[in-house]
Amino acid sequence: MTVLHAETLTVTSGQGTMVAPISLAIEPGQCVTLIGETGSGKSLFAQAILGTLSKDLSASGGLRIAGQDVALDDPQALAGLWGKVISVLPQEPWRALDPLMRARQQVAEVHALVTGQANPEAAAQADLAALDLDEAADRYPFELSGGMAQRLAIAAARAGGARIVVADEPTKGLDIARRDEVARRLKSVTRDGGALLTITHDLDLAEALGGEILVLRNGRLVERGPAAQVLRCPSESYTAELVAAQPRNWPDKPAAQAGAPVLTARGLSVARGGRRLIDGMDLSLRAGEVVGLCGPSGVGKSSLGDTLLGITAPAAGTVLRGAGLARERFQKLWQDPPAAFAPKLSLGRALKDLMSLHRIPADRLPPLLEKLRLEPALLDRRPDAVSGGELQRLSIVRALLLDPVLLFADEPTSRLDPLTQQQVMRLLTDLARTKGIAVLLVSHDPGLIAKATDRQIALSLETAPDEVASATGIGTGRRARS
Amino acid sequence: MTGRLAGTVIFAAVLSFAFGLPLISGADPVSQSLMKSLQPPSADGWLGYDHLGRSMSARMAAALRLSLSIALVTLVTTALIGVALGALASWRGGWIDRALVLFADSVVALPALLIVLIAGLILPNQPLAFWAGLSATLWVEIFRLTRATIRSQIASPAVEAAQLLGFGPLYIFRTHLWPELAPVLRATLALTFAAVVMGIAALGFVSVGVRAPTPELGLMMVELLPYWREAPWALLQPVIATLATLLALTLIAGGAKA
Amino acid sequence: MIATLARPLGWRLAQAWMVAILVGVLSFLMMSALPGDMIFRIAAARFGYDNVTAENAELVRAQIGDPSDLSAFFDWIAGLFRGDLGRSLVTGEAVSAEIAHQLGATAQLAGIAIVLSLVIGPPLGLLAGLRPGSVLDRATVLMASVFKATPQFLLGLVLIVAVSIGMGLLPAAGHGELRHMILPGLTLALGLAANTTRITREAVVQARGSDWWRFARWKGMTEPQVVRRHGLRHVAVPVLTLIAAQFVALMEGVVVVETIFGWPGIGHALVHAVFHRDVPMVQGTALVMGLAFVLVNALADVAARLLDPREATR
Repeated sequence: MTVLHAETLTVTSGQGTMVAPISLAIEPGQCVTLIGETGSGKSLFAQAILGTLSKDLSASGGLRIAGQDVALDDPQALAGLWGKVISVLPQEPWRALDPLMRARQQVAEVHALVTGQANPEAAAQADLAALDLDEAADRYPFELSGGMAQRLAIAAARAGGARIVVADEPTKGLDIARRDEVARRLKSVTRDGGALLTITHDLDLAEALGGEILVLRNGRLVERGPAAQVLRCPSESYTAELVAAQPRNWPDKPAAQAGAPVLTARGLSVARGGRRLIDGMDLSLRAGEVVGLCGPSGVGKSSLGDTLLGITAPAAGTVLRGAGLARERFQKLWQDPPAAFAPKLSLGRALKDLMSLHRIPADRLPPLLEKLRLEPALLDRRPDAVSGGELQRLSIVRALLLDPVLLFADEPTSRLDPLTQQQVMRLLTDLARTKGIAVLLVSHDPGLIAKATDRQIALSLETAPDEVASATGIGTGRRARS
Repeated sequence: MTGRLAGTVIFAAVLSFAFGLPLISGADPVSQSLMKSLQPPSADGWLGYDHLGRSMSARMAAALRLSLSIALVTLVTTALIGVALGALASWRGGWIDRALVLFADSVVALPALLIVLIAGLILPNQPLAFWAGLSATLWVEIFRLTRATIRSQIASPAVEAAQLLGFGPLYIFRTHLWPELAPVLRATLALTFAAVVMGIAALGFVSVGVRAPTPELGLMMVELLPYWREAPWALLQPVIATLATLLALTLIAGGAKA
Repeated sequence: MIATLARPLGWRLAQAWMVAILVGVLSFLMMSALPGDMIFRIAAARFGYDNVTAENAELVRAQIGDPSDLSAFFDWIAGLFRGDLGRSLVTGEAVSAEIAHQLGATAQLAGIAIVLSLVIGPPLGLLAGLRPGSVLDRATVLMASVFKATPQFLLGLVLIVAVSIGMGLLPAAGHGELRHMILPGLTLALGLAANTTRITREAVVQARGSDWWRFARWKGMTEPQVVRRHGLRHVAVPVLTLIAAQFVALMEGVVVVETIFGWPGIGHALVHAVFHRDVPMVQGTALVMGLAFVLVNALADVAARLLDPREATR
């Protein structure tokens, strides 16, 4: 029997159709994955099924759950299914757990209040044990690692016994190792006879889950079919572009011709909040090369970059800029582009102030905008009225006005969609090659690091993260991989 | 937005009454005429006369002038102290920051009215005591807000970017810090102004503020309270003036959403 | 647990010292500013204007020494840290004894006010916050702004005129029975409740918009269950912190309200002491009010850490 059956489900707003009619059916033991970029409508589709659409949107079409018709326009009826019939795995689960409640209670309350178990505490303990969380039962969420929080959220979400599981961007904010574990946990849903609906922009996750894939773009269904077929030999050009935008499928960049060192550090130690993160590191960055900076969260990648740029002072050691290179020629790109601009100043005004400060001739700006494919009209807007990709390219323009010799790019594409990410990264590697800029790139994506960088500096935690962490960087040449 | 407009209109009306009346009427707020005792409002005395036959309109305008002037001077003082110390603490950090925060935390432990009463025993006159006592306590709120706002802004990528691009502290204050600080300060300054008006009236009401015969809103309420049956219109005048001023300031601060 | 409390309590201790020093300095300035005829005024206050003689003026002078003497000030500060607050210039009684006597009445009034404000504020804020934008919510927010903008003495005046004089229901002054407490207690409570309502409402609105609230609903729990199991605890922390921070406003209100209603507490005594320039009494009252604020906030720190384990790691 079909567990979940959506028939010509449509989402409309006052302005028009947000999601064009989509039908899908999930049988027990099956899984369906919706993929697409931001604004493709994949999350709206899930919200329509969950009854959590915002008030200015409405859903129409048919929805049958476990053989029963459910009214899409009745949020109360849909909310009545939560936990018992449909369970939802939240994005960023460490934010979804009640920070003031111990792990066991977060599961036990479902057994007590939703399923009415006689001994909720024991049932919760069994759930936790099944996910290797026995020892964490009495801890608060802030005392759990990201992976434990993820598993606790799964235990809590599924304690109500629902057979339909909806997972909304379950790998958001996770690194690769954690992502594989999530894929494994999600697959166990279908093994136990559940039905899984996943919403993601992560093609690797979609491939690992298998089942049926629906590709959405601008609220329309582009392509659907079995996972292997859609991702390996897509029939639509958009799907092919999405697949090609995966870093591991990127074309190789031109070979490096590393020039003179623009920045050299000797015996560099970096501390943050009184904790020493990096001890006695030697490194040198050369003109024209792209260097990857990798390592787990909290290891001090951003702190190292900020120290090299002179934003923070080193705890020990020296940072030497190349002879005759002014401080302004060492620039940075931020992870969250809107946060790197004054929110109440138009972008044009910000650039004009910069150019008059450094006496840069006005005719240098238009060719740069053209090179980065930015409309001059964008300059009239404020940062919040421009897309993330455009804003990140504008911050590259802003840096290029100062003829940079080093760009510290701190996860510059992690908030961007895959196609935009590819554009921005290609731009950065091109600039390194053509203008001889050294790029120091931080990323959590090993595929991206492998494709985009000439060599890597790997930082690692030598001790547990909540104790004094120290990391060793490998300097030029010694462990450089190309 | 409409609330703020309404508040501004009411406040402007109060101001123009207080400072405009002396221009068109020569009535003395303290000269008595027992003949006119508790005479209700008429063409000759728009707001009537109090129990001692003093012109209520002249007394009301004088009382408002006193409160508003003290409030204005106090506002400027607290804003200067608060913003300067807040900027200093957030910019310099370290022990300067900790010392200033400890000092501010200790000052708030003492009720503002108590400090005014103490200032009244130290300083030669009452308006000076209000200014000194209220300035000494009310700067803390502005200090805390300025410090918190600037601290969070200084740590932001936008300010970091501006520093890397070579902009100086003045430009950063003008384009990054002030636009965030100004709306927060506007609300707090309006509430500070209200606190001054309220404090002066409260101490007047319990007879330890401005001394008779100087007209003052709280003092006038106590003086007129015994006559509330014969002349409720007289008692209501300082009450309404106080409430209107405080309401206007609350609306300007944006507290009321209705 | 004890180690995590050391830092905040250390800060409160430093704050208490600072408060004592501030009060000491202000008291010194008050002493220096006492006019020369003070002795006669004090003698007059104690013995009555008709009975001021050279002898009892000399008696008073001998008791207080020369108030503008610097060493007297240091003796005083030293005494202050020993817990000796000196003697009242008016009654000659030990200030600590006088204040201890009045503190009970004030604590009674403040207690009634806090209880009343908790009965009114958080429930209203909770109801309003659960239905933001509803009629109840908008009415609550409007009422809270009105009561916040209304000075306490005016509220007291309105209550006296309406309830006491107009309806003849409750006494406007007096002390000792429950019916005497209602009007002054309510006057203080309404101003406090305006703030607790607003903070509770904001905390509830914020909680409802949080990821953990939504997830609790997704787990299958109903809204009332989420409120009981998760919401109340989250709302309790900011409300508790606010009540402690409001303590200073409560003390300020006590000065005004006790005077209006003739309540024999430290606020009333303070106004009297100011009137008679009784510096040791003013100093003692200021010190008690300031230290009580620090103590209440230290207790709130401890309670917040018990309610929110994350506080300990901050």
